[in-house]
Amino acid sequence: MEYLVLAVNAILVKNILLAQYLGNCPFMGVSKKTDTAAGMGMAVIFVMTFATFITWFVHYYFLVAFNIEYLQTIVFILVIAALVQLIEMFLKKSVPALYRSLGIFLPLITTNCAILGVAVLVITKDFSFLQSILYAFFSGIGFALALVIFAGIRERFEISHIPAAFKEMSIALITAGIIAMAFYGFKGLDTSLKSILIK
Amino acid sequence: MKKSLLQEFFKGFWEILPPFRLVLGLCPILAVTTLAENGLGMGIATTFVLFFSNILIALLKNVIPKKVRIAAFIIIIATFVVIVELVMKAYFFPISQKLGLFIPLIVVNCIILGRAEAFASKNTVLRSAADGLGVGLGFTMSLVLISSLRELLGAGSVFGIEVMWSGFEPFGFMVQAPGAFVCLGMILALINLVPKKI
Amino acid sequence: MIKEYLKMIIVLTLIAAVCGFLLSAVKTFTFERIEEQILVNVKGPALKNVLSQSTNNPINDRLEIELDGIIHTVFIGKKGDQLYAVAYESEGNGFGGAIGVMLGIDIEKSTISGIGILTHQETPGLGSRISETSFTDKFKGRAVSDNFKVKKDNGSIDAISGATNSSRGVCSAAEKGVALYSKLKVEILKKINKRSDKK
Repeated sequence: MEYLVLAVNAILVKNILLAQYLGNCPFMGVSKKTDTAAGMGMAVIFVMTFATFITWFVHYYFLVAFNIEYLQTIVFILVIAALVQLIEMFLKKSVPALYRSLGIFLPLITTNCAILGVAVLVITKDFSFLQSILYAFFSGIGFALALVIFAGIRERFEISHIPAAFKEMSIALITAGIIAMAFYGFKGLDTSLKSILIK
Repeated sequence: MKKSLLQEFFKGFWEILPPFRLVLGLCPILAVTTLAENGLGMGIATTFVLFFSNILIALLKNVIPKKVRIAAFIIIIATFVVIVELVMKAYFFPISQKLGLFIPLIVVNCIILGRAEAFASKNTVLRSAADGLGVGLGFTMSLVLISSLRELLGAGSVFGIEVMWSGFEPFGFMVQAPGAFVCLGMILALINLVPKKI
Repeated sequence: MIKEYLKMIIVLTLIAAVCGFLLSAVKTFTFERIEEQILVNVKGPALKNVLSQSTNNPINDRLEIELDGIIHTVFIGKKGDQLYAVAYESEGNGFGGAIGVMLGIDIEKSTISGIGILTHQETPGLGSRISETSFTDKFKGRAVSDNFKVKKDNGSIDAISGATNSSRGVCSAAEKGVALYSKLKVEILKKINKRSDKK
């Protein structure tokens, strides 16, 4: 039950893109078509979960053990960059079908601040191992959900008349604002659920 | 045609002003701009990292092998980010608590890696320094502009000083996430009305 | 080919080594100031509350006291030159996780001079009310020998309605804290007397 609350929190209430402002560059960059958005979303879910899995261990069994927590930023980003490279090489060799659909998104993911953001967040929130993995997984789902909804709306822009000054990014940002407003309506859902489900 | 050093510096203020002309680095500009003070702090921290990483990368551009350049850039940038983290904690503790997660995230701010790859790895040290400082200050300017506007409308003050009349009711919308997106979109549209070269 | 790889490895290692060296230098340089800042900004407000009658700066006059292998930081409150109260941290388990409590004890009267909540992860609006003065004031003025339990557990503290577990967390922190008091007091007085002897 605790994990249901966590899921509602990460996907709807504190959506990583729309409420926590993480990962906005790919949000604006790869959201012009629904299928590329879905591909990016899948890649993010996969890398985010996997990266948090590793950085959690790195933090508690390496950084804390050697008392060098202040190097967290530099170590995490290197771990994530190396991991993305490894995943890319592995997919290319072993699962070419998956590589064809996700491959082009992987290099972009290293500089996606949502990945590093979640890896750092689960540490600052003092989450247990299981909580961290689930939080990362659900955050990824929240990211994919927002991205696909957004791309669905953006596809329509091609056939609508938009004032010249608002073309491209400007209208995209305002649309994102309206979606964020819709998600804002979920506020409080997680705490309400928590108070019913967990006594 | 080569630009003069001064032109390299000033292009960051308008021609490639981030995040409006150069649509990169959106996360901090949305996340930390609820108060003008936070925007300024974030801008200065980013400028520091951008300036020094540009200089160091321009210095080392002939030494770093092409194939591992991105890894090398990331190490250099991350080092300066950790320095900023420590210095801010030591000397500007309250603001470093407010910016929280977004200070380590400077490392993945696409502006910095973007300038390293597109500019510093191809230009001289002096030019890279001018570019880094210009783009950084331009980014700071944008952050301060947006955060002042959001603070003015969302809380009725700028840099913590009350400026609105006494009956003013703050727009709660402006300090929430949706307000950030809409506000940035509107400013972008306004800037689009003005030509790129003046 | 091999030469090229060798160059890559050497260059990267050198950069990493120089960066590591630089960082550890900055770390050593800022370490003490950061500790100090955390004390002033995180514990300062709670201390002001807990040692409200002190005329000195309790953070400057702190002592480190080792007891059974654990180092406790004890903040000293003085009225003029006279030691009147001490404050130190304690911890209990609430509903959402650990609750950090600053516990102030009046040395002359052996009563609680006040408690302040430093950190907690309780539900906003419910358990979070433990930080309100209406709750923390219930501890003020009680003798250290008092029974710090909620009424449900046959104690004497009124729990916040709907937040029994959060209230229990604070009580257990207070209990743990006062249990240390008699031992700590001896050590504190020893240290203070040593100090004034030197003068």
